[in-house]
Amino acid sequence: MVSPEAKAKAAAGAPAIDAGSAEETVSCRWPLLVLFLGAAGWLVAGSLLGLLASIKFHSPMFLAEPAWLTYGRVKAASAALLVYGFCVPTALGVGLWLMSRLGRVALAGPVVAGFGGGLLHAGVAVGLVGVLRGDGTGFLHLEFPAGAAGLVFLGYLLLGTVGVLTLYRRREARMEAAQWFVLAGLFWFGWIYSTANLCLLVFPVRGVAQAAINYWHTGNLLGVWMGLMGLGTVFALLPRLAGREPGREYVAMFVFWVLLLFGSWTGIPATAPLPAWMPALSTVGTVLSGLGVLGVAVIVHQTLAGRYGSVWRDERLRFLGLGVAAYVVGGVMQVVEALSGRSWMLHFTWFTAAREWMQVYGYLALVMFGTVYAIVPALVGVDWWSRRFLRLHFWLAGAGLLFVAAPLAAGGVVEAARLLNPALGFVEVSRGTLMFLRLSTIGELLILAGNGLFFVNLAGTVAGICRRALADALRRWGAETTGEGAAA
Amino acid sequence: MSVEMRRPAQPATEGREEPTPQGAVPMWLFILLFVALFWGMNYFDRHGAWFNGRVYAPYRSLAELQMHQPPTGGINLERGRAVYESVCALCHGVDGKGKPGQAPPLAGAEWVLGPVNRLVRIPLAGLTGPIEVNGQQWNLAMPAMGAALSDEDLAAVLSYMRTSWGNKGTEVTAEQVGAVRKEIGNRTQPFTAAELLTVQ
Repeated sequence: MVSPEAKAKAAAGAPAIDAGSAEETVSCRWPLLVLFLGAAGWLVAGSLLGLLASIKFHSPMFLAEPAWLTYGRVKAASAALLVYGFCVPTALGVGLWLMSRLGRVALAGPVVAGFGGGLLHAGVAVGLVGVLRGDGTGFLHLEFPAGAAGLVFLGYLLLGTVGVLTLYRRREARMEAAQWFVLAGLFWFGWIYSTANLCLLVFPVRGVAQAAINYWHTGNLLGVWMGLMGLGTVFALLPRLAGREPGREYVAMFVFWVLLLFGSWTGIPATAPLPAWMPALSTVGTVLSGLGVLGVAVIVHQTLAGRYGSVWRDERLRFLGLGVAAYVVGGVMQVVEALSGRSWMLHFTWFTAAREWMQVYGYLALVMFGTVYAIVPALVGVDWWSRRFLRLHFWLAGAGLLFVAAPLAAGGVVEAARLLNPALGFVEVSRGTLMFLRLSTIGELLILAGNGLFFVNLAGTVAGICRRALADALRRWGAETTGEGAAA
Repeated sequence: MSVEMRRPAQPATEGREEPTPQGAVPMWLFILLFVALFWGMNYFDRHGAWFNGRVYAPYRSLAELQMHQPPTGGINLERGRAVYESVCALCHGVDGKGKPGQAPPLAGAEWVLGPVNRLVRIPLAGLTGPIEVNGQQWNLAMPAMGAALSDEDLAAVLSYMRTSWGNKGTEVTAEQVGAVRKEIGNRTQPFTAAELLTVQ
């Protein structure tokens, strides 16, 4: 039961992110809106394509005719849009904002940042057309053809440079955890994305080394880069929104180094067709980075101890809280997957898909939703277009995550158990997962609806301030002309 | 109420109680880290083959991999069976019982179980003319089917014949085959039964 005082407090308005100095706000406004608005659009498109792919898996005749809507293309396009269309630009935008606000300095080069954001979105658009045309690369999480990947990388490079320069010019000398996390994340993405694209698409390495590079890139992207960007955001916002002092930097440092030192080894399943030392080292790295996940749980508990109720009363904190919970669950799932790899082939089943949903959507996307919901009102100076959409989005996202991840994980365990039975054929085993896949389609439908609300809400808010700016300009112009008329 | 993103200049002294200590790393996390590192070293030692690029997943070390290699010395009866089934079995039958009017049986045959030097000569140079096998008269010609096989393969296939289908003979070594091959030199003329009986 919520106490009457708490209810009154919630009604009075949850704590808002302060507006910061005028120059900080103005410098961040348009670059971030470009990044967020484009990202929200890609998110809706990506989850729509993902829904199509999900339906096709149990109803293969659905939209089977046009080549550009076949499973292989829509699935790849949806995965790429979720990661490169939504996660990368949103996390970069939030990272730039943290660099500016925590350093108490205006963004270095807002025009460059806005241009970089545009370039990034243009790269995603070219890549989407490429994948749907059939020019996808066939590498998971590197679906875009080389030209589109080059555009994405250029856009990223501009944004990353602005981020590093903003940190360099900061007025607040001491850095806090969020800043080193985001700084490392900015460098990390540049390193892995350029290396993987150069070694796979531009100067392709031979044979099995391609698989090794693809595994390495995926492990670093999902584990290290998403870990750095999302956790940095959580460490900065969670205590402030919950009304606690920021701090707890020793545990954050523990998490940081565990992530960087061991997280970068992860991603190679135990039965990968690679020399035995690679999967063995990867399994060890996965278990060791599990300690980082425990560290995150410790930080969140230290931050929120005695105040878990406040998480529930604030929609933005709900997003962040559920996101961190998904991070912990996803990390545990990854350890289970790695350790079971030799006897149970969990990584060969839908369990992997469930884990990736936890890590990409459950963790990073939800953390980013919460953060965007927290910072946009301060950026544009007005509240969200619809508070009801915001609340509804949380329920749709939470229920959608549950309906996608739980059936896929359960289906994966069942599939792995049946794969061990030599009396069952492979097709029979696959057919046994159909019910779980149908359930996950319901989840994807809920997620699509939630993402649609997010896009409409963001677009409505931005349209609102555009309309207001336009009305102001018109009134000024009108006043001037009437003033001139009076003078004449 | 608004939240200040800036960190406070000094610790807030509102007298509000902090129920948790400020951000110390709990000891158990470090202990767990060292336990995991110890486990990781052991795991890698057991599964990682110490960075050897030739060892792949189901195997754990180069030694284990080499254990599963086909032996280079000694007689490999599996190899003998493979050679027998591709070279000999067409006429002598997979079961070694021979085929009427085509080839005599090998199962229980005195020529197979007799002196090794006699047996090795037959595939190396061939056999022609009348011959009695298991009390039955045959008069056929066998070409030099084994002349093209290596010493190891011929030894393996002859060992397989001498130990299969109820035969209880000794194995033939590659050295024995090599010695006979040297002895008969470039002979292209097939042996006759009478000629073979002089070999002990």
